Amino acid sequence: MSPSVVLRIRDLRKHYPARRSLWSGQQHGQVRAVDGVSLDLLYAELLALVGESGCGKSTLLLTLMGLERPTAGRVVFEEQDIVGLSETRMNAIRRRIQMVFQDPYESLNPTMTVGDIVAEPLAVHGLAPDKRARGAQACRALEDVGLMPAGAFLHRRPHELSGGQRQRVAVAVALVLGPDVLLADEPVSMLDVSVRAGILNLLDSLRRTRGISVLFVTHDLSTAAHIADRVAVMYLGRIVEVGFTPEVLRAPVHPYTRALISVVPVPNPRQRRQPALLPGEPPDPIDVPVGCRFHPRCPVALDRCRRVDPPLVKVGGRHHLAACLRAEAPLGKYP
Amino acid sequence: MPRLNDVTDTFLWGGATDRDADPIRRALRHNRMALFGAALLTSAVAAAALAQWIAPYDPGATLQVTVEDVYAPPSAAHWLGTDDAGRDVLTNLIYGARVSLTVGFFASFISVFIGGAIGTVAGFFGGRAERVLMRFTDVVLVIPDLPLAIVLVALTRPGLINVIVVIGIVGWTGTARLVRSQTLSVKQRKFVLRARAVGASNLRILVRHIFPLVLPLIAVNTVLVMSLAILNESTLSFLGLSDPSRTSWGQMLNSAFTRGAMSAGAWWALVPPGAGIVWVVLGCSLLGYGLERVLNPRVASHHLSSAHPTSPKSAKTKRGHPHQTSPGTEFSEAPVVLDVRGASVDFTASGCPPLHAVEDVSFRLHCGEMLGVVGESGCGKTTLMLSLLRLLPTGGRIVSGEVRLSGRNLVAMGEKEMADLRWKEMAVVFQSAMSALNPIRTVGDQIAEAILRHEPRAKKIDGRVRELLDMVGIGPGRQHQYPHQYSGGMRQRAMIAMALACRPTVLFADEPTTALDVMVQAQILDVLDRLRRDLGLAVLLVTHDLGVVAEICDSVLVMYGGVVAEYADVDALFNRPRHPYTRELLRAFPDLSRPKAELVAIPGSPPSPNALPPGCRFAPRCPDASSRCHAEQPTLHILDGRHQVRCHLVESNSGVGSAHEPFRRT
Amino acid sequence: MTHCRFLLGKAGGALFTVGFVLVLNFFLFRILPGDPARAGVRDPRLTQESQVAIQARFGLDKPVINGIERVNPLRLGSFTVNPLDTQFFIYLRNLLQGDLGISYHRNRPVTELLKERLGNTVLLVGSGQILALLIGIALGAVAAWKSRTAIDYGALVGSLVAWSMPTFWLGMVLLFWGSRWLGLPIGGMITPGATFANPWDARMDVVLHMVLPVLTQTIVYVAEYVLIMRTTMLDVLSEDYILTAKAKGLSTFQILKDHALKNAALPIVTIVALNLGFTVAGAIQVEIVYSWPGLGQAIYESVVRRDYPMLQGAFLLLAVSVVFTNLLADLLYSYLDPRVRTA
Repeated sequence: MSPSVVLRIRDLRKHYPARRSLWSGQQHGQVRAVDGVSLDLLYAELLALVGESGCGKSTLLLTLMGLERPTAGRVVFEEQDIVGLSETRMNAIRRRIQMVFQDPYESLNPTMTVGDIVAEPLAVHGLAPDKRARGAQACRALEDVGLMPAGAFLHRRPHELSGGQRQRVAVAVALVLGPDVLLADEPVSMLDVSVRAGILNLLDSLRRTRGISVLFVTHDLSTAAHIADRVAVMYLGRIVEVGFTPEVLRAPVHPYTRALISVVPVPNPRQRRQPALLPGEPPDPIDVPVGCRFHPRCPVALDRCRRVDPPLVKVGGRHHLAACLRAEAPLGKYP
Repeated sequence: MPRLNDVTDTFLWGGATDRDADPIRRALRHNRMALFGAALLTSAVAAAALAQWIAPYDPGATLQVTVEDVYAPPSAAHWLGTDDAGRDVLTNLIYGARVSLTVGFFASFISVFIGGAIGTVAGFFGGRAERVLMRFTDVVLVIPDLPLAIVLVALTRPGLINVIVVIGIVGWTGTARLVRSQTLSVKQRKFVLRARAVGASNLRILVRHIFPLVLPLIAVNTVLVMSLAILNESTLSFLGLSDPSRTSWGQMLNSAFTRGAMSAGAWWALVPPGAGIVWVVLGCSLLGYGLERVLNPRVASHHLSSAHPTSPKSAKTKRGHPHQTSPGTEFSEAPVVLDVRGASVDFTASGCPPLHAVEDVSFRLHCGEMLGVVGESGCGKTTLMLSLLRLLPTGGRIVSGEVRLSGRNLVAMGEKEMADLRWKEMAVVFQSAMSALNPIRTVGDQIAEAILRHEPRAKKIDGRVRELLDMVGIGPGRQHQYPHQYSGGMRQRAMIAMALACRPTVLFADEPTTALDVMVQAQILDVLDRLRRDLGLAVLLVTHDLGVVAEICDSVLVMYGGVVAEYADVDALFNRPRHPYTRELLRAFPDLSRPKAELVAIPGSPPSPNALPPGCRFAPRCPDASSRCHAEQPTLHILDGRHQVRCHLVESNSGVGSAHEPFRRT
Repeated sequence: MTHCRFLLGKAGGALFTVGFVLVLNFFLFRILPGDPARAGVRDPRLTQESQVAIQARFGLDKPVINGIERVNPLRLGSFTVNPLDTQFFIYLRNLLQGDLGISYHRNRPVTELLKERLGNTVLLVGSGQILALLIGIALGAVAAWKSRTAIDYGALVGSLVAWSMPTFWLGMVLLFWGSRWLGLPIGGMITPGATFANPWDARMDVVLHMVLPVLTQTIVYVAEYVLIMRTTMLDVLSEDYILTAKAKGLSTFQILKDHALKNAALPIVTIVALNLGFTVAGAIQVEIVYSWPGLGQAIYESVVRRDYPMLQGAFLLLAVSVVFTNLLADLLYSYLDPRVRTA
């Protein structure tokens, strides 16, 4: 294991029972939300996890956070497998892996003051000796996220803040315990465009100055392209491509990635391109296709793709991985 | 993003939009119903407490009773007459309050305690505990309350404690269900998730996060449970099942009923006790109902609220704010389909100054052209769109300016004429197809409805519906299905098909793809683009996504704070933006083709319509703002072609262009 | 397929509830102090033969259930007793044969008495409900449509006041002035001792006796339905599909008819079912005040006269009726709501 890998995920699975029989409570069918994800998160990097709705990215974050018990797989953090740890040991880990949620209007308790919200993790872990010390640390966290003067914010309530400010508070709560890993679930998608860049730049600067690794989940490839060092594309519970951002964008290997890149609208009228529209919509995670899970919609599917589930293999440049049987034969450069 | 209603609600009913903050106090301050109910209750409690001092007679005193004293009508000695034993009705009435209130209070306490405990455990712990508890609750819920209470009281010794306990254990099911669903909903909110993610214990989560948000609902529920408890107590007393030594109102009515008050014509023995019950129960219900309205506020006006009077006939220039109609050269040879000049939209509510949601918007839409209306929350783009169709909630309308659809002035049109125009000339595609379609009618049915409204004698509707669905790529069998059986993208396509049912001239699309994935979005945009070319439709596309605008729009209207910041052809806007907001917005917008470019945030947030800055709307956030910008609203300047900008700096011609490098695109 | 599953689930739930009620009914009369079941047998109103017959038929000398001799005071017994030879199973067996015991007061089988009364209750409650539903739904819909106007506030306040009135009191007041000023009958279902020339006159007599009780019920139930319908309708009218309908150019009336009412009616079905307990409570009170010979009156009478078999039987019948009405409402709902039907 290379020393710069902070979080190592191997073949993680999270399946939910689909339906319960009336009497016996037994399941029929499984929702395979996360279905064999393998990913490395490196030190102080910002890794963007891109995928559409239903691909399992949010479930993945919840599982990593310990809020959901994985069905199978390993997650190695600080040289121990945190899957299936006891609650007490997991609590110690939790100080170092924190999460930022999507909805700024929902992620703060409306009956608490900002100061209490930010100081809560300290109280839970018994870290600061008294209320004043907690307040001081909360102030520091607020300043770190750009809410100044921090003292003025301590006694405000969430509804008095704007969306962008609330999201900053959410980041402050995540920071106050001094984590090593930050899991961000679409932190800007509910904010106005002019405000988003502020939060994104904040996350970026945090990881540079404090060496925090950020796993940034989003459905917006453009955002990911701007701030991520590496980008991972997720489809139906599996990572189908991962690599350094410039390379994945310049030379995507997986047909899904290629299609995704081609349909993202670009704010430049002179660059209208022909989107490669995929037929249909992503299937339900209950009905994962046999073989390559993408083959029903793939424009270049082979016969073999119907039977064989492609593993994530190295393709091209450094650390560029893709799960496609056609990866051996190059698909040609992206125009 | 806050919905349109949230904006108007905040303005019209003031204060914080977050309804969870301090609801009880807010309720009692603003809510007359709750206050009145509280007044009724407190007066009853006061009367009961002070009974010894305000009752004219002593209730326990043995009286020398003669025949005249029985059922004596109201007189100076007895304001409410006497009952069958010659006792003063008024005295009994006042003392009777004690029993009713005591039973009501304690019984409801028991009910709420049991229900609250069960609901909390079921909602918080879930799993088998929840299943078992809820099944039990459902079973007990079905068993009718009063018969069960009668049986229980009848089989035990009649007495006050018994009655309290029985009513208490019969009435907890409503509370249990309420508490469970609220606990469940709070438990799923993100801040609880975070607390768990931080490692907070269950106890901490319950106490600090769940209870504060469940307690207000429990408080309201307690009041309502109390009203039911008092009613139940009075009924049980009336049936003779209560402690006969305690005079309660029900007991008085029992005496009246069984001892011939009715045949004696003694209405004074009949009416006051019941009136007492009504007094107290009404107090509880008013209080409960009033409080509930605060906790679950419903939008005050709905879509069918009484139509506002038609707007003033002609264009009025706004408060010293000269606008220039654009004479400009035509964009293309195509005829102008929608001509908007100086349109302003206000929201008015009695007692409040009008809210200026949109001010002085002008643009021209030609046949076959797609105009993108871009902006962030609160900029008024959706308001503008809805105002053109006159679909705003009560109080919102165009107050000045002209809107001409193929020459006809829409602003001055009567409501009936307007209704005939809707869908036939101007159709809408809303953002969320799931909520914009009636869930209990088939899709085909709803499309047919649109056709039949404007062509009542149309034939072969079925075929036309099929054709429309086919045009957007939906198979023929689907018209008999319900919206929930469609996938998200399909639903949106169905909405587009429905919008085209009457071959409108203009199609308004309000963020049609915002809620969809990028792949599905591409499909929808493709359909839209294709159709407008094939059918020569003019489209007004409201969106916040600059990428979408660049992809398919011909012209762009950038809105900020209710005014037009910039209006231009798409090429001119993206490559030669003249307004600082446009420029900054482009810099803040991620571009997949230039991932290395820095994303620059604009400090602050977009203004809300009830807190607009005095000068230029963008001045507080503008990097180039001068003192003039802060004080004075800029006028609209026409640049070449139909490029319009509302900015002081353009005028001097030295501003935007030279101070910053024009935003060049490869 | 899922619809069938839904229906089966609901039917199963109803059966389970009925089972619970049966068990509750049985133990209630044995748990409570005085063991009314056993005590009542020595009721002096019963003839010697009846006492012996009851003793035998209900096995009152037998253990309550396998392992428990008596419930109150608790006395445990042997577990080797034949489980089918206990009071509980005798009770179940009798129940399945339609035998609910013999009324102490009237010395006739309870089942017979109840059969006579059920119809009367259904007549009264049915009329009241139907009227109240029609008026309540209409008024509630109008109040919601004209939200925040005088009509709305009037309907709201009026309903709250009417809802706050105890049903029996309203009944007494209406009876008092109704009989004085309008000459309406003072109670009962028919004029006692009267003979009628033809069946039509007999029916009219009943109708005359129904006026006040139905009016009483209607007023109280209308209040409930207005409140519920108003809330539901307000929610529906704020939905986006109403805006779509308006955007299509449909008139207000058309929108109300084709979109709002149908959608609002759906939750009403469920809520009416949930409120059946309230309905029953009202019916009991009305029957008592107006001496209407129905199930409610039966319950009251049996309480007053300590006629425990009758009380037990009436309670059982009432509870089971409510359970099945709930089931019917669930089934109806599943057919009306296409989301359940086609899920």
